[in-house]
Amino acid sequence: MNKGNPQDDHEIRLAGLYEEYYDKIARYVYVRIGNREEAEDIAGEVFLKALKALDFYQERGIPMQGWLFRIAHNLTVDHLRKMDKRTTTPIESVELLAKDDPADTSEKNLEFERVTEAMKQLTVEQREVLSLRFFGGLTAKEVGDTLGKAEGAVREMQRAALEKLRTIMGVQRS
Amino acid sequence: MNEDFDRILDECIDRMNGGDSLVDCLSDYPAYSEKLRPLLQSTYDVQKTYAFAPSADGKRAARQKLHAALGKRRQGTAGSPLLRLISRRAFWATAALLVLAIVGSLVVRSVFNPPALVPSPDGNFAFLVSDEPDDINDFEYLDITISRVRMQTLGSDKWLEFTPDIRTVDLTRLQGEQFQEIWRGHVPAGQYARVRIYVSEVNGKLKLTGQTLDLNVPGGIVHMLVPFEVTTDMVTIYTFDITVMATGDDGTYMLKLQLNESGARQEAKLLK
Repeated sequence: MNKGNPQDDHEIRLAGLYEEYYDKIARYVYVRIGNREEAEDIAGEVFLKALKALDFYQERGIPMQGWLFRIAHNLTVDHLRKMDKRTTTPIESVELLAKDDPADTSEKNLEFERVTEAMKQLTVEQREVLSLRFFGGLTAKEVGDTLGKAEGAVREMQRAALEKLRTIMGVQRS
Repeated sequence: MNEDFDRILDECIDRMNGGDSLVDCLSDYPAYSEKLRPLLQSTYDVQKTYAFAPSADGKRAARQKLHAALGKRRQGTAGSPLLRLISRRAFWATAALLVLAIVGSLVVRSVFNPPALVPSPDGNFAFLVSDEPDDINDFEYLDITISRVRMQTLGSDKWLEFTPDIRTVDLTRLQGEQFQEIWRGHVPAGQYARVRIYVSEVNGKLKLTGQTLDLNVPGGIVHMLVPFEVTTDMVTIYTFDITVMATGDDGTYMLKLQLNESGARQEAKLLK
């Protein structure tokens, strides 16, 4: 069997992952920064950064999609730090689409605030696990590989996070 | 029991990620239904709240950029294995380069030993190191070692010197408003013309690749040519604010002096 150059293989793989993961990465970033356009910009930047660092990517480490989310995480942290300097609070400043019905928009805003407030009360690791599972679409094992945790620990964290969310959102509703 | 439940919950989340409904999952696990329902409902609420479809135009534009960068990269690495190797070596060489924005360029080596200043916790002079964020987040750590600092009095050739109490600081921990005081002591009151900061070593580790980089300050000295005053009744805080920036697409980084954040300011001295 003719085995290709590993770097060429990585390039092909990265280009392939773009189609599958661009949307997921954009959503993962959106949860953190609350701005759709900027989330999309960062998602595009993730792949360019990954390409620049492709020579250093090793298959033995984390899966490539997990590696992309690590890059996304770092870019998001950078972005939030820059936004902090401008004294904005991104997650609360989310605007729903103007074409939405006003009554519906108001309800969505309330729901958004409710969920966002609940998410904020999770630990950083719990939020990261849920973000990678729900929006990144990674499996528990892939999340574990990305965060350096055992699959069982990820599942446990996921359950604890959801229980906490349920409690908080239940209290908010009542 | 918990492990089983965690596994079933995980499986249901996978299925919901794949498009199955909450009801489908619950119907497959009636024994766990009561416990599963509220957690899967939370999953659904969170996913629904943050769901959005990125714009087709944005995605297309990002794809074009990626493909253009891929094409450029392939052109750059095409050719003989020797060329590839040279290209890789060039990368390492440039990565190790440091270009420091120095006010004043050539360094004339001092032929004298200025008197050493004495550190003191209640001194009238403090020297701080800080870092503007820029691309510092590319680094897991970026240690800068300052071996000594010299100050020249205005209108004379007289120099004073101190050795920092803390010689090595990690710039990744000193971002934005963060700073590290590396020396505090008594400095004779008067006007000072310039400061020389002797940087003996800068090395860091990139987060993405784990690669360590050694950066060199040309001549090992940073010159600060902004005059300042030291008085006895106020504390003069002198900040050396430095930032690291990626210079292009080839993984090269350079250090830059943040001129607007660096220099002296005075604060009231706390009475004891």
